[in-house]
Amino acid sequence: MTRPVMYALVALWTPAIAALALAALVPLRKKGWPAAAVAIFSSLVSLGSAIALFMDRLHDEVPQQLVAPWIHAGSTVVAEVGVRVDGISASMLVVVTLVATCVQVFSVGYMHDEPPAAYGRYFTLHALFLFSMNTLVIAPNILQLFAGWELVGVTSYLLIGFYFKKPSAARAAVKAFWVTKFADMGLLFGLLVLFAATGNFGWDAKLSHGVATAVTLLFFLAVVGKSAQFPLHVWLPDAMEGPTPVSALLHAATMVAAGVFLVVRTNPLFAQAPATRMVMLGLGAATALFAALLALVQTDIKKTLAYSTCSQLGYMVAALGAGSMLGGFFHLTTHAFFKALLFLAAGSAIHAVHSNEITDMGGLAKKMPITASAFIVGSLALAGVPGLSGFFSKDLVLEAVEGQLSNVPYAALMLTAFLTAFYMGKVVFVAFFGKPSNEKAAHAHESGLSMSGPLMVLMVPTVVAGYFGATFAHVQGEHYHFHFGTGPAVASSLGLAGIVLAYFVYGRGPRTEQPAAVALVDRIAKTRLVNRVYEYGFHNVTLVVASGLAFVDRYVVDGLINLLGYGAIEAGRKARPIQSGFAPDYVLAVVLGVVGLAVWAVFGSWR
Amino acid sequence: MTLSHVLLLASALFSVGVYGLLTRRQVVAILLSVELMANAANLVFVAMSRFRGGVSGQIFAIFALALTVAEVAVGLALVILLYRAHSDTRVDLASELKQ
Amino acid sequence: MIQSIGFGLVALCMLATAIMVVRSDNLIRATLWLGGTLLATAGLYAIVGASFLASVQVLLYVGGVMTLMIFGVMITRRHEGLDVPAESTGGVRGAIAAVLLFVVLAAAIDKTEGLDVLRVTPPTTTAELGRALLVEHVFAFEVLSLLLLGTIIGAIVLARKRDLGAAVRALHAPRPAAEIPAPPPSASGDDDASSKVAA
Repeated sequence: MTRPVMYALVALWTPAIAALALAALVPLRKKGWPAAAVAIFSSLVSLGSAIALFMDRLHDEVPQQLVAPWIHAGSTVVAEVGVRVDGISASMLVVVTLVATCVQVFSVGYMHDEPPAAYGRYFTLHALFLFSMNTLVIAPNILQLFAGWELVGVTSYLLIGFYFKKPSAARAAVKAFWVTKFADMGLLFGLLVLFAATGNFGWDAKLSHGVATAVTLLFFLAVVGKSAQFPLHVWLPDAMEGPTPVSALLHAATMVAAGVFLVVRTNPLFAQAPATRMVMLGLGAATALFAALLALVQTDIKKTLAYSTCSQLGYMVAALGAGSMLGGFFHLTTHAFFKALLFLAAGSAIHAVHSNEITDMGGLAKKMPITASAFIVGSLALAGVPGLSGFFSKDLVLEAVEGQLSNVPYAALMLTAFLTAFYMGKVVFVAFFGKPSNEKAAHAHESGLSMSGPLMVLMVPTVVAGYFGATFAHVQGEHYHFHFGTGPAVASSLGLAGIVLAYFVYGRGPRTEQPAAVALVDRIAKTRLVNRVYEYGFHNVTLVVASGLAFVDRYVVDGLINLLGYGAIEAGRKARPIQSGFAPDYVLAVVLGVVGLAVWAVFGSWR
Repeated sequence: MTLSHVLLLASALFSVGVYGLLTRRQVVAILLSVELMANAANLVFVAMSRFRGGVSGQIFAIFALALTVAEVAVGLALVILLYRAHSDTRVDLASELKQ
Repeated sequence: MIQSIGFGLVALCMLATAIMVVRSDNLIRATLWLGGTLLATAGLYAIVGASFLASVQVLLYVGGVMTLMIFGVMITRRHEGLDVPAESTGGVRGAIAAVLLFVVLAAAIDKTEGLDVLRVTPPTTTAELGRALLVEHVFAFEVLSLLLLGTIIGAIVLARKRDLGAAVRALHAPRPAAEIPAPPPSASGDDDASSKVAA
């Protein structure tokens, strides 16, 4: 076992052991704080080995893997389970473990008021999530990736429904599960097609054009679900019912990025399917613009961030569709940092004022300097202000998209950059500047160290990650040169313009009415068109089919079963007197049996 | 007198034993019927040995005899047990299997 | 010829006594009739030339098993005397089954070839049997001794005073039988009596 493989195994198994221990040792979990200690310790160990692994990858590009046979078919092994160490998995591992550690530390303060049992359950689920995500990230084949994919889906369900006594949270959890599960069928069927074509679950197969398109399109369906692309984005805003740190970790930084990661991972397959990539480019750009428009009209700080996440995931998908694996992956990385930072800062603010509405905040910058600066830095990075990480990665995306499909996606993404800056500016100006809107906001105070600490830690990569683009590219075995051309210039100018516009609209005191353009979008958004399409579809198609099936099930299938059961009961009733419990009766049966056997032996088989 | 005559006699004896087994209600009487049947089987062993040569059949008969003795001993112990439980040895009392 | 007449007589005796065994209304008499059957069997053994078996049959079966049976009948009786009814039921059913069995067996014997042999082998000597028993079949012989030992122990365990019958009585006891069920008053007296006899 080589050293990098060992690092990977440590990173994978520490959270697993923590989760198992917390699940099995009930007193440890029910007590609350020991669970937090165990989970955070395991995440720290995982983070340490992930960083060591990344360092190792800096000067060693040869992928390594350690696998054990998993599924046998006769004498051949069709699937293996294990770890694969290369640039992609090492980078993703660092992102996942770093954000997870920060979020868990943040949760210590954020979830402080929970009862000990719920507190323990929360951290157990976090440990389980980290293990699931790591399983996905360092999978040596798509089948193990699929296992991790489903595991993160389950933990996502459990964490969205963490406040399961709240009906809306329970509904949101189920909705997220159903929508992503529907999309996951794509991954499953894609795997089946891939297996039928190649006989294994590797991602480096050479496929015929048609098979490659079919497989990647099916995979892309799963990506659309997991990474909340239009039209399957509907679950993500609802998922904000979960605790805010969960939203930061799962629904902003890591889990939703798993879809993008799948494309990055299986890039050799996607490279063989230009048709799929065109679809991705179009849909990614559309989602980016569409979600940005929806983000514009949200007043709930978490929902704004959720739509923003959709929008940024659209950027990544568009970049991957344009064929820039590096662009998508780099934006994934920087986005994980600044979006986690934004969510945690938002969580800190929510914790202080006990409301998700930005209109209930106001003037928090003075009361909560660390939180406010974290949020502002994150917003600037998201808006693509030059010098911050978001600027570099967004630029890479735009560069990749430029010139494709007669520049329509390019224009959409440019417009999105402007809108992004505008709605983030709105949140910042309304929530953190101006006057406190109520008593709670007026008496808000900075959160404790466990919450402000992770904010400060995450601020570092948010600011500097962009400058490590070359290192990042080197680890992936690609090249990256930043040059400040027209694209970045236009994009950052648009971003700055958005911020300035937001200042003029929202920065000068509270407003009573929306600007006309925003109001129009708001009216459209209030129609909840996509959700209503689903609801209509559900009522008129699914329910009809389901009730038809239910009829068949109830009266045909069940009827047969009942008939069988009734027959068995009747036969038993008829046969019961035979069992008299009276020895001579049994002897008679034996004698008759012997006679029968003898008849058969003597006359039956006599030649 | 041929072998088949002896075998027919043994069959008859066995059938009489079966008749007793089916009609008797007293456990001890049932044991008697079982003895008849065992005796019939023994008779076949001995007859086969005598008419077809070899002594194995008779050895078998001796073993079977010993086994029958053992069976009677255990059977009677069970009869005593039944008698303790029900103060009688009618076999229809021992119908707990039905419950 | 004489042999055939002897066989006929013995066979007649055997069947007659056997039918008496299963038909007699008195259990003690039935047991004694069984002794007759066994003696007749011993006679048949002697006729076919298995003299050792004949003597063993008389000694072991008629002497041992019969005695055991009589004891069995005696100790499971409440009353003194020889008036022990041996109830039977379902005679027709039993007869049909028995006749059916006999017909099938007879058909099998009839269909099997090579059974119409007359006795040709010389009578078996005891020395031959002894050699076969202790040389050829010595392992089975030893196993059999173990079996007999086990039987003795098993019979003692089963018939001991600490009666397993309590468990059976518990089944018949009225519903709330959570504790150790006390034996019904009428049965307990007999129980003691019988165990005294057994001891």
